[in-house]
Amino acid sequence: MLEFEAIGTRWGIETPEPLESRVITAIADRIESYDSAWSRFRDDSLVTHIARAPGTWRLPAEAGALLDVYRSLYEATDARVSPLVGHALERLGYDAAYSLRDSGHHTPAMPWGDAIAWDGATLTTYSPVLLDVGAAGKGQLVDLVAGVLRENGVHEYVVDASGDIVHAGPQPTRVALEHPLDASKAIGVVELANGALCASASNRRAWGAGLHHVIDALTGLPTSNVLATWVMAPSALVADGLATGLFFADAARFEGLGPFQWARMLSTGRVEHSDDFEGELFL
Amino acid sequence: MFSPFPAESKRPKNSCVMLEPATVPLRNENPVTQLPVKIALTTFAALTLAGSLAACSSPAPSDNTGDTGVDTDAGNNSNLSTSEEPYNDGTYSSSGSYDTPAGTESIDVTITLAGDKVADVEVVGHDNGNPDVKRYQAEFIGGISDIVVGKDIDELSVDRVAGSSLSSTGFKAALQNIKAQALA
Repeated sequence: MLEFEAIGTRWGIETPEPLESRVITAIADRIESYDSAWSRFRDDSLVTHIARAPGTWRLPAEAGALLDVYRSLYEATDARVSPLVGHALERLGYDAAYSLRDSGHHTPAMPWGDAIAWDGATLTTYSPVLLDVGAAGKGQLVDLVAGVLRENGVHEYVVDASGDIVHAGPQPTRVALEHPLDASKAIGVVELANGALCASASNRRAWGAGLHHVIDALTGLPTSNVLATWVMAPSALVADGLATGLFFADAARFEGLGPFQWARMLSTGRVEHSDDFEGELFL
Repeated sequence: MFSPFPAESKRPKNSCVMLEPATVPLRNENPVTQLPVKIALTTFAALTLAGSLAACSSPAPSDNTGDTGVDTDAGNNSNLSTSEEPYNDGTYSSSGSYDTPAGTESIDVTITLAGDKVADVEVVGHDNGNPDVKRYQAEFIGGISDIVVGKDIDELSVDRVAGSSLSSTGFKAALQNIKAQALA
């Protein structure tokens, strides 16, 4: 089991055999290159540069899949999920310095087409936009790290980045679905095999009454109707994105993102889940 | 007393079900607002929920008087077929209103039946902005859905947890700092 901290969260990678040091180095390099592109918490990152002035930017290869998922989420949620919420998060106090102080000044994110144009390779920004890929970026990085394992001949693994999990191999991994209001309890158990499970909870990163990181791009404010979501999908990119999307729209809206299983807990305490949810829920 | 009436013509064949919330709000002081609640019920939930729909023995109604609704007291059946004939698949709506000392309040219930089971329920409460009303109606709605019962993670045999317990290190440190400042 390899454990480390990266992109501000705890990672665990389980493999049948200990990883060779060259594989560990490759993993570290992959994470560093992702972080240096997408972290809005770094002064030297690409998204920090992009935020300084409008312009045209060549994005790294993973941007295509990432922005495709974002575009689907944006449309399915009627613009409530958007990569343009970076400034809204900053105003709420979730900024690079972690000031965690609500400025009290809340504005919606700019509409996609007014702020940016993406042609599949280059991004044009019409104003200084602060991209935030928090809805799906961690999931994508989990997929990319799993890709590094496969490229190095490792085909059985669990990559777990604190709630974004991808599994491959004959033995499923049993995952407790943590109760969003009581971390000592689970609302269910899932057996994950050869796929991804991503969880999102509005209390995951909360810093005050009603202040958390799941932001409605239309209001610039945290959402409140859903407490937590869990999604199983073939990739962690899609599962992570859907876990955010389900805070803002019903599952039926996301058919374009392919097959997935889901559960979510509403603020009323009720739990909804897909017909085909392969897991035990303690209802 | 709740007096539901059908809002749409299509109804289950053997319908004579009372819509009877266990608790009804008693006060009504504020301007009208709506509390829309959408419950997407699926197989597992439908089993326990389906018990909330049950036939009763009231006389067959005319088209304009109430007879279709939800009986929250019938809790043990896991299938709608407690009477002779199966229900027709389809979507059924009913409105219910009840008098309170402060006036009349109402909810609209829409239920989708598929294969003799409840596939979907939508309840819109006209709560008049009264928080008590919201709460009671939420309880009523909750009564026909599933509330989760958490189990101790320590008692489960699991390899890992998916949720919110592990959050960003930098974030946690900053939060501690804020708490310290707030206490100073």
